[in-house]
Amino acid sequence: MNQASLPRACAEVLRRDLTLAWRRRGDIAMPVLYALIVATLFPFALGPEDALLQRIAGGVVLVTVLLAMLLALDAMFRSDIEDGSLEQLVLAPQPLALMLAMKILAHWLTTALPLIVVAPLLAGMLHLPLAVMGVLLLALLMATPMLSLLGAVLVALTAGTRRSGMLLALMLLPLCVPVVIFAAGAVAAAQQGLPWVAPIAWLGAALALALVLAPLACAAALRIALDA
Amino acid sequence: MTPTDAIPLLQARGLSFLRADEPVFGPLDFALHAGELALVEGDNGSGKTTLLRLLAGLLHVGEGELRWRGRGWNRDERAGDVLFLGHQLGLKMDMSPRENLRIAAGLHGTRSGRTAASVLIQVGLAGYEDEPVRRLSAGQKKRAALARLLLLPAVLWLLDEPYANLDRAGIALVNQLLEEHIAGGGAALVTSHGAVSFHGGEPKRIRMHG
Amino acid sequence: MSKWIPLWLHKLGSPPIFYRFAGTLRPWFLGLALVAGAVALYGGLALAPADYQQGDAYRIIFIHVPSAWMGLFIYGVMAVASFVALVWRIKLAEAVAMESAPIGAAFTFITLVTGSLWGKPMWGTWWTWDARLTSELVLLFLYLGVIGLYHAFEDRRQGARAAAFLAIIGIINVPIVHFSVNWWNTLHQGSTVRILGPSKISASMLWPLLTMMVATKLYYVASLFGRVRADLLELESGKDWVRRIATENSVPGEQA
Repeated sequence: MNQASLPRACAEVLRRDLTLAWRRRGDIAMPVLYALIVATLFPFALGPEDALLQRIAGGVVLVTVLLAMLLALDAMFRSDIEDGSLEQLVLAPQPLALMLAMKILAHWLTTALPLIVVAPLLAGMLHLPLAVMGVLLLALLMATPMLSLLGAVLVALTAGTRRSGMLLALMLLPLCVPVVIFAAGAVAAAQQGLPWVAPIAWLGAALALALVLAPLACAAALRIALDA
Repeated sequence: MTPTDAIPLLQARGLSFLRADEPVFGPLDFALHAGELALVEGDNGSGKTTLLRLLAGLLHVGEGELRWRGRGWNRDERAGDVLFLGHQLGLKMDMSPRENLRIAAGLHGTRSGRTAASVLIQVGLAGYEDEPVRRLSAGQKKRAALARLLLLPAVLWLLDEPYANLDRAGIALVNQLLEEHIAGGGAALVTSHGAVSFHGGEPKRIRMHG
Repeated sequence: MSKWIPLWLHKLGSPPIFYRFAGTLRPWFLGLALVAGAVALYGGLALAPADYQQGDAYRIIFIHVPSAWMGLFIYGVMAVASFVALVWRIKLAEAVAMESAPIGAAFTFITLVTGSLWGKPMWGTWWTWDARLTSELVLLFLYLGVIGLYHAFEDRRQGARAAAFLAIIGIINVPIVHFSVNWWNTLHQGSTVRILGPSKISASMLWPLLTMMVATKLYYVASLFGRVRADLLELESGKDWVRRIATENSVPGEQA
């Protein structure tokens, strides 16, 4: 009998989710397209005035990325619940929190990373100064994993319900308020020439905490949501 | 024959599960030893699936007591010893049977001497190893899920309607898998409406109170 | 000592006993809440002097501030009950947590409305992104999330457990939101308007405020008891004690 090793189990779960995402690459493009559309609408609504767009660019890109991620969040466990592979994952003799962490990582890689890649384009369309671009990307690199982690816990909680899209947004909003405040605060501070390290550091601290706690909470939430 | 004084693999005393305070089944009393097969019998809605999901560890014990190898009922004691096959087969439709088995093996490990290729031939999926599961027929999907039973190491199998969607050859295959598993010292709990022709001795029967 | 307290609590945790206990106490709590509320309103609206800066407009604090306290207090109660419900699977704790949520949401909503009404004479606008009002708004969303999740499940007890988990995540989130919103406020506004300095309040204003606080607490308990009683009847509808109550309360002619 060959025992399953933990690293191999982690690698298999990660590989599985990435392979599945790759076989449905069209779905990866959707959030990116959505973000592009939303960012394009702002100049139409507010007028193409450079100074105004420049002022709101950082915040708009952040909120757009957040909304695009929210769009894809619902799908994190959906197909796994429908075909029963989530049950198999829960019953596997491996630490569930770690397996879920791999799923969250795969989700971040397939939804948030493409959004971060197009973020400079969105910011450029809204005339964000080039000097601030680095801070924006740093803020996104801190904020998007937070959203994936927090979102995963909430998606796990709604795993036993039928429709959860709007409910998910309602539950996620209070949790992502601090993330948005600090991420946008860092960009705004950098734009005004003020020190921006403090909010980024706060985000980093919160991310470190969430990296440890969110998978555990996600596993606990999933066991509650499946138990009926 | 197994000695009756040996510690049973699985023992239930007054086991029941409540949903909205209404008992879904039970109270049930039964014991399952290594080398035994038990058929769970009951009408539709009598709680057969719920019982299997509870034994798999997806649901909490409502009332009564469960013991695993004479010890307490907790997840770590059972880890890797139990395999559950439910209505939902747990197969990824966009992946081939071989890839699906590979993931399962990554999570559970494998029995010695078994490979994904060998068990797929055993369940009659030779030639379909690399076809996406979505293109297989319902019976072939079932066989791909059954292949998991052969590949992964486990003592107790919990099979919910394993005969559904299978042709006569498929039913014979399930019976053969069960006979080999029982002969090898494993145990299984099987739910089924249909009559089961099992040649490895008279199976135990667990009757759900309707 | 240590022996009879858990037994007493354990007995109270059983639905039929709590049903009777809450039924007896509820009118008292409700009556006391009404009396205390009336006294506090009289003290606040008639006896307390007008503020030399704000005139009579400040009197809304006798509603606004106790509601704001209750919004947070009830969230705390809900989180503690949620924790108890998740760890020990006590049905009464689930009912207390889930029935607290709408009451807490109502108090938070009152806080927001009165804050907005107060904002008009104070700041000349119905809504301002003041740190405290914003925190209250986020608190309202936290409540709505818990209520929404509870009702999204078909199985009520499972919904209660999931929502209880969310309530616990929320209570961790509350101080983080408060801290971040304060930081955000100083970043964007420079300074916040402080209306209620800790030392400025006079005794003639303080006692109606504290009385109102007591009144809202009493009202909360009375309202909670009523809601939990109804909830228990529904959750335990198949049990003997509920049947007995149903037959006792039914009109004799009705069944014939």
